[in-house]
Amino acid sequence: MTAKTQLIDQLAKATEEVFETMVFKKLTKGSPIEGDALRPRSNVVGLVGFGGSLSGLVAFYTTIDAAQEIAGSMLGMPAADVNGEMPDAIGEVTNMIAGGFRLKLAEKGETLAISIPSVTIGSDFYTKYASDVQRILCPFRMDENEICVELILTRN
Amino acid sequence: MRFLVVDDSSTMRRIIINTLNKLGYQEIVEASNGREGIDKLAAADVDMVITDWNMPEMNGIDFIRALRGLDKTKDTPILMVTTNAAKDDIVEALRAGVNNYIVKPFTPDTFKEKIEAVTAR
Repeated sequence: MTAKTQLIDQLAKATEEVFETMVFKKLTKGSPIEGDALRPRSNVVGLVGFGGSLSGLVAFYTTIDAAQEIAGSMLGMPAADVNGEMPDAIGEVTNMIAGGFRLKLAEKGETLAISIPSVTIGSDFYTKYASDVQRILCPFRMDENEICVELILTRN
Repeated sequence: MRFLVVDDSSTMRRIIINTLNKLGYQEIVEASNGREGIDKLAAADVDMVITDWNMPEMNGIDFIRALRGLDKTKDTPILMVTTNAAKDDIVEALRAGVNNYIVKPFTPDTFKEKIEAVTAR
């Protein structure tokens, strides 16, 4: 297992834990995909930066419908009743995934600090990074929806 | 038992309140940052404070230090709920005066255990 594979594996485990305990949804993990030109289908992107012995970003991608499902499940209400709460819920999911990832790396001696989350909502956009980065995407099935987490690592 | 839940995320406040409700606790006051938390505590008596770490206006650590400096809240049990779970973070929170620590993501069982551990002191 390469270092990058181990890192995406830790991120995937952190994601599964967050969904199991806080979103109350079971995820089915797909195969990670590596590449610098990845554009997951999504209308909602949560981002948390990290720095320390490694630096980069954790990104969480979902569609609006799946984001409404996630927020509703977290808040204990039907997805159709979710209104302004969705961005905050996705920010919190991304924050917990990044926090779980940070904790797993801390157990292996890597010290990271993480940023506050940001959430972008829209259509027909993709995220491009100015720095020279490596990107590894891990897709999951959540019921009928696909969600993705991505590890974006600066090359140093 | 009456709780003050302090978190800038409305989602996380709702999750914590839902969890407390599931555990049988119904009397809950909310605040979205430490400063608002202090105002709420001036107006209401609570038996336990549950606070986040990273918040605008006044973060969780400064909030806990402020509570420990007030006669009314110097002995009030405080639980911190956060993703900041590295060893250094926990040491900093304990030094500030937190009684126990819940790492996100959490289960209702974890919440129950931590509340019981703090109230048993």
